[in-house]
Amino acid sequence: MNWHEMEMRAVYGETLIELMDENPNVLCVEADLSKASGTNPKVIQKHPDKFVNCGVAEANMISIGAGLAKEGKIPFCASFSCFASRRVYDQATISVAYANNNVKIVGTAPGITQGPNGGTHMCFQDLAIMRIIPNMHVYSPCDVYELRAMMKYMASHKHPVYMQLIRPKVGKIFDDSYVFNPEKAVVLREGTDLTLVSTGYMTQFTPQVAAELEKKGISVELLHYPSVKPLDEKTLIASARKTGAVVTVENQNILGGLGGAVCEVLSEKYPVKIKRLGIPDRFGEVATEKYLFDKHGFGPEHIAEACRKMAHSI
Amino acid sequence: MKEQFDIKKFNRLALEFRHVITDIICRSGSGHVGGALSLVEIVITLYYRIMNIRPEEPLWEDRDRFVLSKGHAGPVAYTALAYLGYFPKEWLPTLNQDGTRLPSHMDQNQTPGIDMTTGSLGQGISCACGLALAAKMDKKKHNVFCIIGDGESNEGQVWEAALFAAHKKLDNLVVICDYNKLQIDGTTMDVLNLDPLPDKWKAFGWETFEMDGHNWEDIYDTINKAVAVKGKPAIIIAHTVKGKGCSILENKAESHNIKVGDEAAYKKYMDALEPAEIVLPY
Repeated sequence: MNWHEMEMRAVYGETLIELMDENPNVLCVEADLSKASGTNPKVIQKHPDKFVNCGVAEANMISIGAGLAKEGKIPFCASFSCFASRRVYDQATISVAYANNNVKIVGTAPGITQGPNGGTHMCFQDLAIMRIIPNMHVYSPCDVYELRAMMKYMASHKHPVYMQLIRPKVGKIFDDSYVFNPEKAVVLREGTDLTLVSTGYMTQFTPQVAAELEKKGISVELLHYPSVKPLDEKTLIASARKTGAVVTVENQNILGGLGGAVCEVLSEKYPVKIKRLGIPDRFGEVATEKYLFDKHGFGPEHIAEACRKMAHSI
Repeated sequence: MKEQFDIKKFNRLALEFRHVITDIICRSGSGHVGGALSLVEIVITLYYRIMNIRPEEPLWEDRDRFVLSKGHAGPVAYTALAYLGYFPKEWLPTLNQDGTRLPSHMDQNQTPGIDMTTGSLGQGISCACGLALAAKMDKKKHNVFCIIGDGESNEGQVWEAALFAAHKKLDNLVVICDYNKLQIDGTTMDVLNLDPLPDKWKAFGWETFEMDGHNWEDIYDTINKAVAVKGKPAIIIAHTVKGKGCSILENKAESHNIKVGDEAAYKKYMDALEPAEIVLPY
């Protein structure tokens, strides 16, 4: 199946239907954004009894999810990432993580992919704030195949999870044989001069960047982190030991997310030179991807430039 | 396992509960005594006369569920659970002590018999909606009982849950509002007026009852009426007295959370309870 020809949200909806077909406890829980999540109308048509719309009441949705999970249900509760993380932070912390209820929180349209909705809806902090909740796993898939593997994993493992979900169609990184393991980073490419670490949407860009740099004589080791928590420290440290330099890039604030996590690990266990790319602690705005990449310096050319500088500085 | 009602026996039980609650809170040095004492008769009625439960099997699938959304009233539920044998009564004086399994706010992973972790106000009633919806989905017959506070009803999430439960026709959900008319900073009237509270719930589509939360017969009859409601959720506004049964705490906002610094303070609160020849069961 050529899942990569579909929008990521459509694949989310289709995969949820598959999971619901297999396990009657899997539920689709929404807060009036089911079209944006890709579950409306398909999931509603296929499993009307397993579709729960909570209306525009995200806090209520997350705590309802906790109650459903306590009774053995596996609720996938989705909303825009801004509402699914910062708006429901206490519910995610107490009803879900502290109580250790098996709720899957799905934050759609992360970071700059929120586009035309602008600053109020562009959430650059969800990876950071969800990462510091004990018990919470935090995932960010880079393509549809990883998304599908991740959702299957989520449905079969009892654990609170926050997952980012990009909505539009994105390029193919993996294929149907991909197996997701939150304990493992994916080495997309081996290299010797520096390590480029990414998660989620930004992994769409790093293979091309590494290929271009190779032509210029810079050998980049590419690490993709589908799980920001738990974070596979071993692969990171081994790569840093090999290359001696690390660049991180994420569709998030450079504070506290993937870049923050990488700095925490390496500064304690194997200090090397690090450059973090992403949003430099700014709010979003209504703008195109290119405009935001250029403004904040984390598009493909900026990644390549940061890698070149890093390679020449060590 | 429902208990035959005998007013003398139940009055005695309530008195004993109040001594235990006050004792374990005072021993720990501080705690939310007012809102626990206001719930004694209601919690006893639920656990001893209304709910289908099996203390020897706390996770029995068909049990009625209980969510104390105002999680700070934990000690009243702990006392009921200990008396019914969910855990040894010796646990009671460990309330809020280091390493305890009886934390000030309820924890589903610590205490046998607790169906839902609560403490962050407003969330418990939403969780109770989740429990009730799951029961509907699974065509289960059990009910979900949830107690919320009047101060807690300031939280917007309570009203989100109110909309949801009515929309989903969760007639297996019975909510009781402990309307003692006091919250931390003063009277509910002064801090953030809830009146007319029953009208608000009616407008949200709930079958709405009122009761005297300290009158055994009224409590029992009203809860039974609420359970019998079909096609919509039911709420009971329970008129109660914060700090009930402890003369120096009754109807005082300060009773929400007391500090008990020394033996003299401990004695002051214990002596303010209705006297009884009670040997604390631990």
